[in-house]
Amino acid sequence: MEQKLLNVNHLSVSYGNHSVLRDVGFSLGCGEFAALLGLNGSGKTTLLRTICGLKKADSGGCFAAMKDIFRAHEKQRAHLISYIPQRHSIVYDISVTDVVLMGFNGRLRFYQQPGKEQIQRAFSTMEKLGIYTLRAESFLRLSEGQKQLVILARSMVQDTPVMLLDEPDSALDFVNRHKVLFKIREIIHEDGRCGLITLHDPNFALQYCDRLLLLSEGNICGEVNVKSNASDIKNNLSKIYGRIELLKYKGGYAMVKG
Amino acid sequence: MSTNLYRCKNQVLFIAIFLLLVVAVLISICIGKYPISTGEIWDIVMGKPIDPLTRNVFLTLRLPRTLMALLAGYGLSVAGSVYQTIFKNPLASPDIVGVSSGASMGAAFAIVFLNGGTAAIAFSAFAGGVLTVLFLLGLVGISNNKSIATYVLSGIVINAFTQAVIMILKFFADPERQLASIEFWTMGSFGGITDDKIKAIIPFYLVGLLGLIVLRWQITLLSLSDDEGKTLGVRVQYLRCGVLLCATLVVASTISITGLISFVGLIAPHIGRLLLQRNNFKTTVFSGLVGAFILVAADCLARSISSSEIPISIMTSMIGAPFLAYLMSRGKRLS
Repeated sequence: MEQKLLNVNHLSVSYGNHSVLRDVGFSLGCGEFAALLGLNGSGKTTLLRTICGLKKADSGGCFAAMKDIFRAHEKQRAHLISYIPQRHSIVYDISVTDVVLMGFNGRLRFYQQPGKEQIQRAFSTMEKLGIYTLRAESFLRLSEGQKQLVILARSMVQDTPVMLLDEPDSALDFVNRHKVLFKIREIIHEDGRCGLITLHDPNFALQYCDRLLLLSEGNICGEVNVKSNASDIKNNLSKIYGRIELLKYKGGYAMVKG
Repeated sequence: MSTNLYRCKNQVLFIAIFLLLVVAVLISICIGKYPISTGEIWDIVMGKPIDPLTRNVFLTLRLPRTLMALLAGYGLSVAGSVYQTIFKNPLASPDIVGVSSGASMGAAFAIVFLNGGTAAIAFSAFAGGVLTVLFLLGLVGISNNKSIATYVLSGIVINAFTQAVIMILKFFADPERQLASIEFWTMGSFGGITDDKIKAIIPFYLVGLLGLIVLRWQITLLSLSDDEGKTLGVRVQYLRCGVLLCATLVVASTISITGLISFVGLIAPHIGRLLLQRNNFKTTVFSGLVGAFILVAADCLARSISSSEIPISIMTSMIGAPFLAYLMSRGKRLS
């Protein structure tokens, strides 16, 4: 079997009696950036939360770099999977550098502080994302686009094989959306990680991701490579978006409501 | 703001609060019913021969009292800053986990049933504070949902219960002596501080403070939501218990010999955050120095503005509230 970075097998999840995910399975390889598409309430966020161990699964398994996520504790999971939530939860004035340094926490003992070398690595990561000049600012005073880049930097220094991103673009404007998604794709391709991202706008997924996973009513109802032919993509996307048209544009596709 | 300018401003603030603190400590040692001059303090420190009465006042009254005001202000404010950080709530204080009400219950118990000896009150108050927090951690432990809301709810449950017990104790207390003692205890005072009392509590105080220093980076991470913390590899449940226990040791050991001191643990961290405009461990240390200054200054006033001593909590509230109002009116954000 080809070595996969993320394996999700027969995952079922429910909240109380309400079943949210039923027998979900897929896998992602090295350097693969996949989008998880689905309408509101289709279980996208639940799937991401389950994969990174925040929500308990009823059955099924999840392996990152061949390690069983459900048997690992928080610290071990932080070595394998990084997660960018829909909304960050920072409520106090913390400097941008400190926010990025939080990404190293999985590698520190509880009594340790980030060291010089880690601060250097945080700085070089911030330089890469063009936010080095913000290093001394308070995180709360940044614009939403800058905040998302800082959180992305934190996720990068966490240096995990698997990156999960839950609508990282939801608070961003059009230009920042492209900027952030471009950076994310670059990191995943360059470092040979794998990424799973939930997005509301399928056009961004078509432009930046390698593969689309389509989630409907707690099931993966379709899976398609963005390099595939137009009718294949259209058939799959219409499973969740209904009547649509696919336009060919600059070697890629754009979806409009039909 | 550029990094250098920010660092520079921080250094100025740290130096300023340190100087203020030194001045306050000197004044606190000097003033009182039997004044000591700064020259005499210098002589005592240098080991020169001096009037034995002055020496006695210095060593057995002023020094322990000033030292305790310093330790109490520092400890309560550091703990307050930590509580506010890990509860993600700028209004959190030691009351939120029941340590103050538990200590009051312990003190009231000792006053009513153990004849109210000072050692008995201190021991009982300390035990009451620590046991109440352990009970709270137990309550959270048996709950399915271990989120921060459960801690707050458990705190409310425990506060209500301990208040009921305190009311029962007050109801059956002898109004002349015991009830008055209970009331005075809840207003706090540095009047009865001796070096023996400080020696008795200092090990617990230092263990708690050291714990907080060791966990300083994790405390910053605990200011995130539980989910975000967990995905960054923070073992939230264990750490929160550890941090709470350390903060509790500091608070319980302090108030066991001073009585309740209101407001300083709430206000000093606010002042710290307003001035430094950050919330990290440096801010916690700075808040501690601010709190130490407030309490030393408040104690000076408490024993000098009237012929009889005024309880310290009256002073802390009287100084703290206008200061917070002043900083607020300058239009800066509070959290």
